[in-house]
Amino acid sequence: MSAIVASSPGHLSRLSFGGILRSEWIKLRSLRSTAWCYAIVIAVTIGLGALYSLNTQGQGLTADDIRGLAVGSSTLGVNFAQLVIAVLGALMITGEYGTGMIRSTLAAVPKRVPALIAKCLVFGVATFVVSAIALAGTAVASWLVLSNNGIHADFFDGRVLLPLLGAAGYLALIGVLSLALGAIIRSSAGGIAVALGLILVAPLILRILASVTRAVWPVNVSAFLPNSAGGLLWAYTSGPTAPAQSGYIVLTTLQGGLILGAWVIVAFVIAAILLKRRDA
Amino acid sequence: MIEAVGLTKRFGQRTAVDDVSFTVRPGLVTGFLGPNGAGKSTTMRLITGLDRASAGTVTVNGKPYAEHRAPLREVGVLLDAKAVHTGRSARNHLLALAATHGIGRKRVDAVIGMAGLESVARQRVGNFSLGMGQRLGIAAALLGDPATLILDEPVNGLDPEGVIWVRNLVRHIASQGKTVFLSSHLMSEMALTADHIIVLGRGRIIADAPVSDILAQAKGAGAVRVRTPDIARLTGLLGEPGVVVTNEENVLEVSGITAAHIGELAAHAGIVLHELTPIASSLEDAYLALTQDDVEYRSTDEGSAA
Repeated sequence: MSAIVASSPGHLSRLSFGGILRSEWIKLRSLRSTAWCYAIVIAVTIGLGALYSLNTQGQGLTADDIRGLAVGSSTLGVNFAQLVIAVLGALMITGEYGTGMIRSTLAAVPKRVPALIAKCLVFGVATFVVSAIALAGTAVASWLVLSNNGIHADFFDGRVLLPLLGAAGYLALIGVLSLALGAIIRSSAGGIAVALGLILVAPLILRILASVTRAVWPVNVSAFLPNSAGGLLWAYTSGPTAPAQSGYIVLTTLQGGLILGAWVIVAFVIAAILLKRRDA
Repeated sequence: MIEAVGLTKRFGQRTAVDDVSFTVRPGLVTGFLGPNGAGKSTTMRLITGLDRASAGTVTVNGKPYAEHRAPLREVGVLLDAKAVHTGRSARNHLLALAATHGIGRKRVDAVIGMAGLESVARQRVGNFSLGMGQRLGIAAALLGDPATLILDEPVNGLDPEGVIWVRNLVRHIASQGKTVFLSSHLMSEMALTADHIIVLGRGRIIADAPVSDILAQAKGAGAVRVRTPDIARLTGLLGEPGVVVTNEENVLEVSGITAAHIGELAAHAGIVLHELTPIASSLEDAYLALTQDDVEYRSTDEGSAA
């Protein structure tokens, strides 16, 4: 029993936000699902980008076409990667509810909200970095394949580089949004269903509604959904936006990014309030 | 030191903890007894702020748990052994908890050693047995070398060696002047481990006294074993209200009357006794006697028993 006395945890130790961040970083790293999901994101993004580039021919392309091609091939995988990131984001917190880990987490951080903030920050930053690596890898692969096909794209052109960075930011925000949704729902199946429903199913339903009713509003509502508003962050824009068709809402890249940001903030605030109020 | 005042927790219609007030003092091992569903775990969750009280307050070392600057150093808690992500190794689980308070690797490895988990610390918790999970939960509770230790059913699933380990551990920690509060349904274990006992039944405190008092109180209610060649006559003499006599192979077991009284009755009637032995009552008997007194409560709540 002398061990209890021999090694005290140190008198300076106390709860700090830096410590909570470190704790969440250890948690993120120490699960196999994290490594698997991130590996899939990187593989899918690079693989799809390279495949897309392979099937392009260089004849008669304008500089604008080439930039569009560079962005398009590099971000093709984002549509798939976002589903993996959404699942992983929801699991970040629902996995804790499912296993009971959340009680250990909240016993260590009894004010609760700092733990949620730390989780969102760590997961958001990690996802941004992994996505940036995936997109950089895709850019290199696309550049190699396109060069081989006689197309010389400049990936350091701002009109190419910014959408690639935007794609990494988009994936990070989608991940944090899913994490917040998971914190609200608290079950893995439910959290994943809601996150994927919002990203995948809601736009589909609105599109069907639009084509059946021939109304404008489903299209306009759809423009404000996380994936379409946020999608503007990684869309290639050739120049000044084309004049909008009457009645249809056209958002700028900045507006799209802000709308996705608003989704994340609203979901986070609801999650934080519920976390604070509910019994763990 | 844990102080609860008027602590109440309702889940919808059901009142799990009903206006409970108690103090758990430092330097002692305080046992928390009660049948399943009595509200022990809920009370412990209220202490650590995992559940919000519907009414009343509870403080640990003078403050609500969440108000402490270093909660893990104030209170170490084992709520249930399953409060661990099954996909993570035991060591990473402890490292993640320790990191929140800036507690170093040395302490993590020290509690792993104390809990005897060295050989499995790098295995995923999902493969752990109940007993190993319990050891990990206790290791986590010890991380901050806390002034107060709260353990919910710590010996549940432990092997005999583990049971003795927990017993020595909590006695040692209490001897350092720290507060230890542990729940158990094993009364015999409590008799060996605890100095003081709080008994909870259906969300209310039935008893709050030193173990010795509770045992002494139960002595009166204990049975007496009597052997006599004249069973019929003695049985007749004992036919008073409240006295129960059972005859098993010519050995009488009499309850509701003291051994001294039986001896006097027999002497007056000239009956020879071959044996007159008070049966030492265990804490189990004391506990059952205590909860049986709660009759009114029982009959009304029988149907909704959790």
